[in-house]
Amino acid sequence: MKKMRMARVSQLLFLFIFFALFVSTEYRGSDTVPAAINSFFRSDPLVLATYLAAARSFTWLLFPALLMLLFTALLGRFFCGWICPLGTILDLVTGRIRKSGPIQLLKGNFKYWLLLPLLFAALFRVNLAGLLDPLAILVRGLTFFLYPLIGDTARQGWVGVYRLIGARRDHIAPAYNLLHDYLLPFRETFYPLAFLSALMLGGIIFLERYERRNWCRNICPLGTLLGLLSRFSIFSRVPATLCDDCAKCKSACPSTFREGVQLKEECLLCLECVDWCRQRKAHFVLEPPRREGRPFLPERRVLIGGALSGFLLAGAFRFRSPEANARMLRPPGVKDEDEFLDKCVRCGECMKVCLKGALYPSVLHGGVGGIFTPMMIPRLGYCEYNCTLCGQVCPTAAIPSLPVEEKRRAVIGKASFDKNVCLPFAKKTNCIVCEEHCPMPKKAIQAETVRTTDLNGKPVELKQPYVVDDLCNGCGICENVCPLEGKAGIEVLAVHDKTPLKVAAGEAQQQEWADPYQ
Amino acid sequence: MKRRAFLKFAGLAALFHRFFVRDLFAAQGPVVAVATNRDHAAATRSAIAALGGMKRFVKKGDVVVVKPNIGWDRSPEQAANTNPTVVKTVVQEALAAGAKKVKVFDRPCNDERRCYVNSGIKAALAGMKNVELKFMEVERYRKVTLNGKALPEWDLYDEALDANVFINVPVAKNHGLTRVTAGLKNVMGVMGRNRGSIHRKIDESLADVNRVLKSHLVVVDATRILTDNGPQGGNLADVKILNKVLASTDIVAIDAYATTLFGLKPEDIAVTVAAHRRGLGEIDLKKVRLMQV
Repeated sequence: MKKMRMARVSQLLFLFIFFALFVSTEYRGSDTVPAAINSFFRSDPLVLATYLAAARSFTWLLFPALLMLLFTALLGRFFCGWICPLGTILDLVTGRIRKSGPIQLLKGNFKYWLLLPLLFAALFRVNLAGLLDPLAILVRGLTFFLYPLIGDTARQGWVGVYRLIGARRDHIAPAYNLLHDYLLPFRETFYPLAFLSALMLGGIIFLERYERRNWCRNICPLGTLLGLLSRFSIFSRVPATLCDDCAKCKSACPSTFREGVQLKEECLLCLECVDWCRQRKAHFVLEPPRREGRPFLPERRVLIGGALSGFLLAGAFRFRSPEANARMLRPPGVKDEDEFLDKCVRCGECMKVCLKGALYPSVLHGGVGGIFTPMMIPRLGYCEYNCTLCGQVCPTAAIPSLPVEEKRRAVIGKASFDKNVCLPFAKKTNCIVCEEHCPMPKKAIQAETVRTTDLNGKPVELKQPYVVDDLCNGCGICENVCPLEGKAGIEVLAVHDKTPLKVAAGEAQQQEWADPYQ
Repeated sequence: MKRRAFLKFAGLAALFHRFFVRDLFAAQGPVVAVATNRDHAAATRSAIAALGGMKRFVKKGDVVVVKPNIGWDRSPEQAANTNPTVVKTVVQEALAAGAKKVKVFDRPCNDERRCYVNSGIKAALAGMKNVELKFMEVERYRKVTLNGKALPEWDLYDEALDANVFINVPVAKNHGLTRVTAGLKNVMGVMGRNRGSIHRKIDESLADVNRVLKSHLVVVDATRILTDNGPQGGNLADVKILNKVLASTDIVAIDAYATTLFGLKPEDIAVTVAAHRRGLGEIDLKKVRLMQV
């Protein structure tokens, strides 16, 4: 058996941690998610860079990313070769894919043409980093596509067993429950953009047809950013050039030897070249960075072009349809749409963790620039009154992590009745399922009893509901449970003023009410 | 004693005894046991004992379904769900009477995981042998012909239908539409599909379901009752502590009595009235034997 390299051990370890965190990003009986997958995003320098540029503020949540920047400047792109789960997946599959030679288009400055507009667009307040961030692409591919698919397949199988043997299925239920409790998604939610997410992830794997780590060395904006920094690295390979008599390491290297020189900005520090060196000449040493006689950025026009296209990109994504925007309900605690867009990584974490499957990636509701950002679709799920998980997993606090009392008062939108379809108004029959489910202790939906005649002219007593705006936090349960088919008789609409609901007099005191019999 | 005398005595005794039993349980109408005790487990036990004990309902080897209200993501003191101590005691009694397995479930309105945890019922039943606290699964609903006034048929939960004994353990509380709910409304928890739609004719619909899915025993938790902003409340100012547990085999009678705890008359509640009219039980509390224990 081939000797397992240290880098590979580290890769597998981080891949395992990544999957473990991914699976545990779910409610499992505790109000807090102890180890959310967001630690990967919080260590992501691309997220940090675009956050700094767009939000123009710093958050201590992203401190690990700062450390990562520092260590990359010291050591090089070790993240790509030792940690990045997407890189690990590529390394694991690439051996099975026959190569047909590099794509010339991707060579040269292609990656800078991606990274720089991305960074400059963020500076002009359109933060699209998450769209191309490798971790975000991986999490989205898993969350929106693979995980629901696996969950649904297992579930269908389980249902099939019931159809086959009926209640006798109970004998094997403990085994399935174990799987369901710890590995499978609790609720199989299907997402819009699942296909696009799968396509992006699949596309990256497909690129392995052309050369090893094609995405990592030619496209990945995170890797490119890390590469820029690693030029300062004091960790260098000697000999710097290929030996004349042997170029074995060149064929072993998943990265690039350009004109015989190993490029620091592309070296993943996998140390394969050290292992493959027959003369045992190749090794890494600590030494001050060499002057390479190359400009820091490849060409000035890339920089200027990047800035210009970032600016244009930022402007081009501003269109928002008012009607679609009216249903653009952001997760609880998000007050300002623009600030949210500056900070959101589009990683899909909040949607993964959402208890009731209320959050979905936006397609075009918030304009092209809002693609993959989370929005609530109340007809499919609602914001659970006592749940605070989305704020807990958000790596950049785009969704603030609020204590539960504050989250309950955070305004998502306001409900309003559509009296053309709502039963007591349109059909003159009783209903008020919405009032029943309204979680506000004083009920944001109230009902007045009216005497009227029904559709047959018979006198009836009806409870006609109405919304009290000052009590409504827009959680959406009313719209979710409305028994009408398709369109609900009550709908939550977006509002500009998201001032949290006031604390009702006497409410704070009640929190401390103790059960005298416990 | 001579043989003839013995036979006479035995014959008369048997005859007399039969009348006596009939007098006790039939002539005086249904029994509602009302236990008041700050120890809620003791209250539950004595209410059931007053009806003749759990052995009257559960035979050795029975599969028992205990159906509490676990509808909401609320804590026990908020009185939106059945008191976990009451649920646990009913389960214990059923096991003690010889139940082979006790299944506990509900179809909550909030996230089921949160409801099971925060109602305190998951913790209360943790570690008990032969007890299953389970989430309901879509494929297990079975289409049942009800031939009712409002519902011709509906999907009901197979484990509830198949149980040897169905014990209905609701909490008594306020409800926006029906004013007060207890046993009759609690069976909504075994209904599948879009059950919100039955609110249009909730009184007849609930009678339809209760006519088919009979509660062999109803234990109403009135240790704390929610007097306003039901069915989920959330405001402790709406909670009244009564420390009462009721038990009966007559679901209408027990609901009727529970109504009085809210200062209302049984006739005020359309659901109870409809169920009585449909022959599900006695609404007139004068014809009900109340056993205060």
